[in-house]
Amino acid sequence: MSTERTITIVPEAGLHARPAAKFVKAVNAHESDVQVGHADEDDLIAAGSMIAVTSLGAEASEEVRLVADGPDEEATLDALERVLTTPEDEIADVDS
Amino acid sequence: MSTAKPMTERTLTGTGATPRSDVGTVVWYSTSTDLPDPDSVSVDPEDERERFKDARETARDELEAERERTAERVGEQEAEVFDAHVQFLEDPQIEDGVERAIDDGLPAENAVKRAFDDPIEQFEGMDGQMAERADDLRDVRDRLVRLLTDGDRVDLGALPEGSVVLADRLTPSDTAQLDPDRVAGFATVTGGRTSHAAIFARSLALPAVVGVGDELRDVEADASVVVDGEEGALVVDPSDERRKTAQATQDVTIHEEPVTTADGTDIEIAANVGQPAELEGAKAQGADGIGLYRTEFLFLDRERAPDEAEQYDAYRDALETFPDGRVVVRTLDIGGDKPIPYLDLPDEENPFLGERGIRRSLGPDADLFETQLRALFRAAADAEGSLSIMFPVVATPEELTAALETVDTVAETLEEEGVDYAVPELGVMIETPGAVFAASELAEQVDFLSIGTNDLTQYIMAAARENERVTELRDPRRPAVLRAISRTIEAAHENDAWVGMCGEMAGDPELTELLVGLGLDELSMSGVTVPDVKATVQSIDIETATEHASQVLEETTRDHVIDRIQHRNTNQ
Repeated sequence: MSTERTITIVPEAGLHARPAAKFVKAVNAHESDVQVGHADEDDLIAAGSMIAVTSLGAEASEEVRLVADGPDEEATLDALERVLTTPEDEIADVDS
Repeated sequence: MSTAKPMTERTLTGTGATPRSDVGTVVWYSTSTDLPDPDSVSVDPEDERERFKDARETARDELEAERERTAERVGEQEAEVFDAHVQFLEDPQIEDGVERAIDDGLPAENAVKRAFDDPIEQFEGMDGQMAERADDLRDVRDRLVRLLTDGDRVDLGALPEGSVVLADRLTPSDTAQLDPDRVAGFATVTGGRTSHAAIFARSLALPAVVGVGDELRDVEADASVVVDGEEGALVVDPSDERRKTAQATQDVTIHEEPVTTADGTDIEIAANVGQPAELEGAKAQGADGIGLYRTEFLFLDRERAPDEAEQYDAYRDALETFPDGRVVVRTLDIGGDKPIPYLDLPDEENPFLGERGIRRSLGPDADLFETQLRALFRAAADAEGSLSIMFPVVATPEELTAALETVDTVAETLEEEGVDYAVPELGVMIETPGAVFAASELAEQVDFLSIGTNDLTQYIMAAARENERVTELRDPRRPAVLRAISRTIEAAHENDAWVGMCGEMAGDPELTELLVGLGLDELSMSGVTVPDVKATVQSIDIETATEHASQVLEETTRDHVIDRIQHRNTNQ
């Protein structure tokens, strides 16, 4: 079984640079395998890859779909939701 | 013949980054390494996997250390690029690619190169900020390749004293490691005056020549060289005489205290900075304060405008670097010549005559202007040093009046919010002919004027700054420019405003006596020229200087102006 969640991106830079690095780091800090994609598309890519996440090109206020599969699905998704919904200027305070 | 033939001096030319020279011994720092021919080596995949993992671990340690160092020395914002590098380094896609290539029998370094090829190409093909990620990937790749190919590679942080570093290019990660006390200088194959490495060198007064070109690669390690950052030359196997002149320029006396002319008139000698890293450099050169703090760096190369808190920190840092001095911050001077994705900058035919500086601050960037003033007013209240604010590209008194109205509005809002703030000293940068002719009306409304001679000269002579065909015209020693300067100074003093100069002209010691004689109260320049100008000021007698200035003002051609200045300097 896997758990899915759709989240709207808050950081103004979108899923690039600093927010992307935080996001990928958070994915890899958890045990579940995570995939991510644009909410309106079926394709998913590996969320633990900085290259893949950066090339997704997800911008601010866009919706992304996260699918987690593993022992800590909820905790993983909670952590990722925190990263994706924290404005960039507060991002340093988010514990991932 | 048994006697060794004396070596002949050989000179390579590039762009000088700093008016400093020194002599030293070449250390090559290679960033692009020639990889072994994979067909000629046979390797054990197990060993190669192990080597890759070790290199990756070392690379991660290095990145984390550099992150710390950069956060301390430059700033948190600049340090964050290393976080992205760590994530790229550990990317599973890269790991898979390397594993596969090693399985194909490649040595680890070739495997790394192959694994990065595809993603680099993929990002290169994208637009805007995505294309910049290709640079990040290249940096990470080069770091791994370097760690894998060179067991005893050069550690930039622990070079023997007197080393001259030669490299294709030096990245921010590289320069962050250089210890200016041990390194005699550096020279690079690529780069121009405004490249990162050149700015870094200027801020630390390190002799440097950039953009030497491919012939630099022929200079061998351990060769003796002179790095002449003034002439833009790298002299290989220098003669004894050349060596001596180079070392002589190193004997710079730093005057940490403010200086006066021989007869006791205070002349403030300040530095121009455009990067936070230059603040410490300016202080080390003995600047009394900052006469031009360009705020554009806060807004460039990023995806959105810096918020009030980030700006507040930056201004506070600047103020606290000069607790006893003055820091003159220029509000945002941005126009159509700079690409800033989050500002809707118009595509103008001639951006230098278009909507820039205060014109944007009173128009489309009014919000940014208010945020910047808020951050400045708060920093002025909280930090020790003394802040001044000046507005760029003012052409009419009405623009200044409008800017001062914004100042009042911002102050009122902060008052209502109960936030600590202080409205600092306010001034106008004089860089348009319009401002020169309205200097009295401007000076009447503010505390000071600061003459920006680079733009003022280009506007008075109608000679663009980047156009080499009009270099002769674009000379501040033209009588028209000198008269504009003199007129501005008189207007300021008649209205009890102090007046400074913050263009390149202010840093030329040959002109110091003239400028002091014209009546300037402050001169602000590139940090590296501060020691020379301070020394010159101390030898000046105000009465003689005033007399000299009035004679220069009477000259009607540039040639006569130059003759008179040279005559004066050689007869000192």
